[in-house]
Amino acid sequence: MEEASPPLRCFSESHSSELFSDDGVQTVTSREQRKVERSIQEVYSVYQQIHTSPHVCQFLARCQSPTGGFGGGPCQHAHLAPTYAAVNALCILGTEEAYEVISREKLLDFLYSVKQPDGSFVMHVGGEVDVRSAYCAASVASLTNIITPTLFDGTHNWILSCQNWEGGLGGVPGLEAHGGYTFCGTAALVILGKEHMLDLKTLLRWVTSRQMRFEGGFQGRCNKLVDGCYSFWQAGLLPLLHRAFFKEGDSTLSVSSWMFERKALQEYILLCCQNPGGGLLDKPGKSRDFYHTCYCLSGLSIAQHFGNKDLHNELILGRDENRLVPTHPVYNICPEKVAQAIEHFHRLPVPVQTGPTPSAMDQS
Amino acid sequence: MAESEEEVDVLVQRVVKDINNAFKRNPNIDEIGLIPCPEVRYNRSPIVLVENKLGVESWCVKFLLPYVHNRLLLYRQRKQWLDREALVDITCTLLLLNPDFTTAWNVRKELLQCGVLNPEKDLYLVKLALSKHPKSPETWIHRRWVLQWLQKECSPSGQELKDQAEPRGDAVGRRPCERLQRALQEEMRVCADAAGRYPSNYNAWSHRIWVLQNMAKGNLKVLHDELSSTRLWVSMHLSDHSGFHYRQHLLKALARELSQVGETELHPSKQPNGESTAGASDDNHHNDVIPQLFHEEMELCTDLIESFPGHETLWCHRRHVFYLWHQWRREHLQGAGSQSPPLTHTDVLLSEEPCDDSSTSQTMDVDCVLDGSKHGSYTQDTKRLKRGPLLPHPALPSEHTFVSRILTDCRSTEQNRFAIAYRKWLDSVIGFHDPYMQRPRHITLIFLAP
Repeated sequence: MEEASPPLRCFSESHSSELFSDDGVQTVTSREQRKVERSIQEVYSVYQQIHTSPHVCQFLARCQSPTGGFGGGPCQHAHLAPTYAAVNALCILGTEEAYEVISREKLLDFLYSVKQPDGSFVMHVGGEVDVRSAYCAASVASLTNIITPTLFDGTHNWILSCQNWEGGLGGVPGLEAHGGYTFCGTAALVILGKEHMLDLKTLLRWVTSRQMRFEGGFQGRCNKLVDGCYSFWQAGLLPLLHRAFFKEGDSTLSVSSWMFERKALQEYILLCCQNPGGGLLDKPGKSRDFYHTCYCLSGLSIAQHFGNKDLHNELILGRDENRLVPTHPVYNICPEKVAQAIEHFHRLPVPVQTGPTPSAMDQS
Repeated sequence: MAESEEEVDVLVQRVVKDINNAFKRNPNIDEIGLIPCPEVRYNRSPIVLVENKLGVESWCVKFLLPYVHNRLLLYRQRKQWLDREALVDITCTLLLLNPDFTTAWNVRKELLQCGVLNPEKDLYLVKLALSKHPKSPETWIHRRWVLQWLQKECSPSGQELKDQAEPRGDAVGRRPCERLQRALQEEMRVCADAAGRYPSNYNAWSHRIWVLQNMAKGNLKVLHDELSSTRLWVSMHLSDHSGFHYRQHLLKALARELSQVGETELHPSKQPNGESTAGASDDNHHNDVIPQLFHEEMELCTDLIESFPGHETLWCHRRHVFYLWHQWRREHLQGAGSQSPPLTHTDVLLSEEPCDDSSTSQTMDVDCVLDGSKHGSYTQDTKRLKRGPLLPHPALPSEHTFVSRILTDCRSTEQNRFAIAYRKWLDSVIGFHDPYMQRPRHITLIFLAP
């Protein structure tokens, strides 16, 4: 991201010299003044961090673990979820500096360190398995070109065993079908090129049944309430399924729309999921947060844009200003950023695994 | 009035101590919660203990939480030492306020590993945390870790190590299998509690399934008990899809276990102790029990659908039970069409392992016919079936009758919609996958994919 122009006062070096300085005699007013300045300083520094690319890169670099992967914050243990988020964020930035933050060799070591003999991955060393981990691993590995011949051994079979009778996927084999896990499993299989091994028809039946007749948004599971974030996790499955059916040569596929009610979803997001002060949310009455802001907007983009660059159909509810840019249905960042990252990292050789093999790791 | 750091320190230490004392005074505390109380009251303890409920007045949280959080992090960064007792108290306070804090749970793991805490004590803290945060994923994950630790302790090799060390208290003195038995019962209670506190609690029910798979593997009695104990619960939580999904899991597990038991009965040479089996009448034991289970489940479903119109979960449950039943019946009662026992294909289907002879079975399916009016090649099994069970088995025709009955009797639009959708599903999914023609695509994909 570029700096805001014209440059704001808070970015200038001399700004901090305006801070109140105390002659040592504290009064009620001087203490209150200090408190106010401290909180304003925090606001400014957060703004600075968000709005300068080098700052973001530096922050993420500090979140990277010396043994590979990224943790939730500096000095935290690596975990597949923040790893996924960090790699995506760096790809969004898309500068040389951002790409270079990622230590690919260490990242590969980290992925091997969480790989299990049955093909699944734990979310972090010593943690538990669930299908999100396969998606996080497949996403970062494919973007940064570190997929070795053995990295995803058995993974697709394990993911397939998460599909249950309902058609959706559970967190681990045997569990209830769930929107978030279903997306992660399906998207991971798409990355691995094995999505055709799912029972696509029952999956399609399951996910289309998750759009709520009245609300227009999606629920996460049968008989549950609508939630804005499923605008992406559930609706996001339709582009993946569309592509999979297309590859199978299905001649009855639509050439103008994904197989869900696009207008109704847009209506739900725009009318019910916006906080008047900005940001998006689960459902009316809930408070805003970054997670729902991200996934409501992602779902809105999915609903607005059908197809790819060769065959594109836009359906924008409301004013043209509501138009978002298209998002990549697998990685959920802009398709151009995906292409750019893949192009950059494919110029580099796949690293050789240097860490211990999965079976040798002590998982206790 | 602004607070100085020293005042906060004193206050917080007092509160941590108050919490600790509350547990000492009342070891039966079974629930914790926040009491909305925004007015700061420095000279009164924010800890309230009434009957077996522990309350924390909300005003103190903004002091308490950052303080204990910070102290734990400083300990972790080796910048400030905390002795074992302080660690126990601080992690306890922290996790009761915010259990989604893996670092604190990890400190508890270390305390367990060095013997300061015993598993039951930690499981108690987890239970309390769940009373306030019934979904918290990190809490359930930690609980599973402790249970695995407990299992290791109670295993034969774990016991040897125990005997070498000093005795620590009566928890250790109890026989290991009794300990695990108690733990198993407790798990079901904790899951049921958490499921009651939050609708369709995915994490609680997933944990319950995990307990079955890891603490009661192959245990028919537990499976049966669970089926009966959850029957009332689901009847009172009609939209709890997770609860019904658990029953589906139980049925599947029971069908699988009973079929394997049946197989052992029919192959005496396979039994490890070399005992001979009972006579031919036992061959059908599982043949009756499993249909009975499915029949009862369908009856329960019918009851609930008729009594409480318009609940999507009930219809979803019906689909699943019918589908399971339909699969089991096809594979099991049609059998192999030869002299061999009828169970081989059930194992294959229900154990979800790759099947190499799927093509052979397909041929046999076509040959073998259940319908009494056809004079095809009868096998031993179909003969038994003809004179066999007294219960009417759910079947496509009876399901269609059920749907028609609902549509004529009912006035709820939702119910009508669900009934029509169910009928459509019967025709397009079950009817399409005619048992005599082909296996459902789902299974084929998994078995035959490269």
